[in-house]
Amino acid sequence: MKNLMILLLAFYFCLPLSVGAEDFLGAPVAPQGKEIIKTDSRLEIKTDMSHDEAVSFYKKALKNLKDIKFREWKEVTYIEDDGNRDWHSITVSKVDKEGTTITIVKDNWTWIIGTLVLRYIGVFVVLMVLFLGLLISGRIISAIVKKMETKKEEN
Amino acid sequence: MTSNEILDMLYGTLRTTGIYNFQWNIVIMWGVGCLFIYLAIAKKYEPLLLLPIGFGIFIVNFPLVPLMGYSRDHAQLLQIFYHYGLEWEVIPCIIFLGLGAMTDFGPLIANPKTLLIGAGAQLGVFITFTGTVLVGFTLKEAASVSIIGGADGPTTIYLTQHLAPQLLGPNALAAYSYMAMVPLIQPPIIRLMTNIKERKIRMHQLRSVSRQEKILFPMVTVGIIALLVPSVIPLMGMFMLGNLMRESGVVERLTESAQGSLMNIMTIFLGISVGATMHADNFLSWKPLFIFSLGLVDFAVCTIGGIMTVKIMNLFLKNKINPIIGAAGVSAVPMAARVSQTVGMQYDKTNYLLMHAVGPNLAGVIGSAAAAGMFIAMFD
Repeated sequence: MKNLMILLLAFYFCLPLSVGAEDFLGAPVAPQGKEIIKTDSRLEIKTDMSHDEAVSFYKKALKNLKDIKFREWKEVTYIEDDGNRDWHSITVSKVDKEGTTITIVKDNWTWIIGTLVLRYIGVFVVLMVLFLGLLISGRIISAIVKKMETKKEEN
Repeated sequence: MTSNEILDMLYGTLRTTGIYNFQWNIVIMWGVGCLFIYLAIAKKYEPLLLLPIGFGIFIVNFPLVPLMGYSRDHAQLLQIFYHYGLEWEVIPCIIFLGLGAMTDFGPLIANPKTLLIGAGAQLGVFITFTGTVLVGFTLKEAASVSIIGGADGPTTIYLTQHLAPQLLGPNALAAYSYMAMVPLIQPPIIRLMTNIKERKIRMHQLRSVSRQEKILFPMVTVGIIALLVPSVIPLMGMFMLGNLMRESGVVERLTESAQGSLMNIMTIFLGISVGATMHADNFLSWKPLFIFSLGLVDFAVCTIGGIMTVKIMNLFLKNKINPIIGAAGVSAVPMAARVSQTVGMQYDKTNYLLMHAVGPNLAGVIGSAAAAGMFIAMFD
């Protein structure tokens, strides 16, 4: 009986730990953050941590997960999930004067469809540039070859 | 020797046999392997690839065979082929070298607007991506599965190894299986998407292409691809090197080796390595089966994309393009071009579309490489 009570107490105290640190859509939320915006698909918090501390927190929190990409942009560090988690990205700002703004965004079809459309257009752009390149080079070479043949015939 | 020792020895020997370690799921893979060997030999479906792939599937699905693992700190036979050929992405690039050495880009150079058909035919790749993500694949897996519709084996293998190597076996198998079935899949789609008047459109004879243009083409292409989609230069660079070797006319020995013995050697290693990745433990899940069914949809939508692109182009062109050759934008070279010829001749026996269809067919190779490059850039 005594042992059972100890076990129950231990479970009660460990439960918050076992539930894990706070998270939004499965993405870890940096501690000591003040919520600015929270909707079903977006969480924006302001934290006292510096940008580097925030990025270190996320590198540690996400280190065992696959398909996570860290990208360094000019004004933010962009953490992207390329797997099939509920969250799509975590943005850690660089330019805040005090503290750091962290934004977690839900995976959404707008991003997927948008990037696919852009890339499909990109394929057309690549082949269009190649088409123009071949058209121009073809005309130049044809003109040169024609000139050379005319010269040969004259000779 | 006591009887116990003898029994121990016999039992120990038995434990090292495949019979003792038998699992029922490998029987299914024997069936899969034998099916592809049958398709290769009896039906002559892409035999150069399906035969070694089928045999690779068969041989690797026996218990305790030392083929795809490590023993005494060194890799086993097929693991070596897989590691150095596929993990290092060498084999697809060398196969493209051989393909370039056997390809005449004349029809494409003579009519460069068919490049747009090759781009349009990648529609299925991007639509299938959406469907694949919906079902639960990760973004990288979705990209590697959707490139199957580009109907380009080496590009499929290159991209899959880059983004989702765990799907290499099913993706490669689906790509090569559907490439072999182009004559079955495409004609009904062509008939559905075109009317009789369109199928009878005659195209002007292609202009002649000078040797200088053919030599300049690989340089121009590789320069543009390197600037716009650098991630696929290993593939396209080797493709264009092979073509330059062919068109230069001064390295015939190298060209012969590239398109002959080298290509054959790489095909053997490719086939057996791909087959060897398909152990029952990896293959028998919902993902490979889904890949096979989705591959068919992917192919069909790519065919539709090519035909629709021609129809849109015809709105702006004075000399119309026969939309049948839009189906050849799927880069199953030269099968898709031959299918266009066959379907065209059913409606006009004197309408020879083969050389016109070769242009978009080759453009499809460049288009699917560009699409692969877009996906690699998405994740890099």
